[in-house]
Amino acid sequence: MNHTFRTILLTVLLISIGLFSAASVHALTAQPPAGGNLSSQGEPPAGMTPEPQKDTCIHCHVSGSFSNIWVPTLRWLTFGSAGLLLLFGVTRSASVWRQREAWTPLPQRVKAWIDERYQLSEFLEPILSKPVPEWQQRWWYCLGGLTFFFFVVQAVTGTMLAFYYKPTPQEAYASIQFIENEVLFGSAVRIIHHWSANAMIIMAFAHMARVFIMGAYKPPRELNWIAGVILLTATLAFGFTGYLLPWDQRAYWATTVGTDIAGAIPVIGELSLIFLRGGWNITAVTLSRFYALHIMILPLVTVLAMLMHFLMVRRQGIMKPL
Amino acid sequence: MAEEKNQETKTVPFYPDHITYEAKVALGFGVLLVALGVWGLFNPLGLGPPADPMDTPAHAKPEWYFLFLYQLLKFIPETIGATAPVLGLIALAFLPFLDRKQQKTTRAMLIRGGITLLVTLLLVALSVWGEVS
Repeated sequence: MNHTFRTILLTVLLISIGLFSAASVHALTAQPPAGGNLSSQGEPPAGMTPEPQKDTCIHCHVSGSFSNIWVPTLRWLTFGSAGLLLLFGVTRSASVWRQREAWTPLPQRVKAWIDERYQLSEFLEPILSKPVPEWQQRWWYCLGGLTFFFFVVQAVTGTMLAFYYKPTPQEAYASIQFIENEVLFGSAVRIIHHWSANAMIIMAFAHMARVFIMGAYKPPRELNWIAGVILLTATLAFGFTGYLLPWDQRAYWATTVGTDIAGAIPVIGELSLIFLRGGWNITAVTLSRFYALHIMILPLVTVLAMLMHFLMVRRQGIMKPL
Repeated sequence: MAEEKNQETKTVPFYPDHITYEAKVALGFGVLLVALGVWGLFNPLGLGPPADPMDTPAHAKPEWYFLFLYQLLKFIPETIGATAPVLGLIALAFLPFLDRKQQKTTRAMLIRGGITLLVTLLLVALSVWGEVS
């Protein structure tokens, strides 16, 4: 049997099964009116004739007033034989179907499709097959990766918060209350964002301590260490800018104190203070500035520095311990 | 430059073995975060009173990761107290150019471990002090 014939046969059979099943179910399940509804004379109650559509065939032909059996017999024979023919056809098609050649699994086919066009596997092969020594799986080598993990968590939860947060002094506080009280899972997202920030800072320091103790900052890894310090600064800056956003008393005055300290640096202090605050005082300008830093500039800087950091680690490898 | 792999070092391929290992670690922490989120559904973080530029609260202080600095500034004059951390950060960045000795001795590692421990304890102590004062 060729492919086309099989397809057509299958389609016709499936449609027939569908129609036959529908007809049978309808015929056998349409309900007559409940309870005895004939009067003592065998008549339906006044005003209550069984509606033809709701009365089963069985009702009249077998237990009712019709005595003609040929019509129902012919019906049963024709539809019955058709049904048997259907069943035969289905079983035959199924066995033909099962004998077909197995298709290659979908993931493999997708991979082949992409490789035909972009030769991606070739490109990825050295990266993915790189051998990782056993000692690199000790727990202290996970700290950098965990810092990155928390950064990703922050990016995701931060974006979700940004959907509802309003960065003006008039609306910031209320928008965070809205997030916590009205938004579905808002309080969950916010608390995760808050604690992942702390976790990221701790992991960054822990990672730095590990690298320092193992002396993995020494040549040839100097630039990598500098990239790391940039990342540490960015992480702390994230914390500092993010802290102001709720615009509550703690946030406002913590930022005041922080920027005052920056202002105490000689020579560049005053300029730094005005640059950070967008003026002499903390105002709506400060909030906008901190928000832009927090969601645009710092993420960009961090991603670029992380890219450099990861590329350098990949290229130079993890320093072998003693 | 690439790490040497001698005969005795067992290795696993990056994909799928090492990536799966890292994914499991990340998943573990992810589960913790989800648990935290669920807890947060019933105990939200909340906010303090809204910002009031006219009303300075008695105990204004920065977030916990800056507390050590804040506490330090209370007894170091302002100018030095503000510049020292910045200079410290720059010195930290240039550490590889200050310490170039290549020998990887256990002694050197222990010394660095000791320094790290001391500095950590100092920072923690200052932070706690900053929090309670």
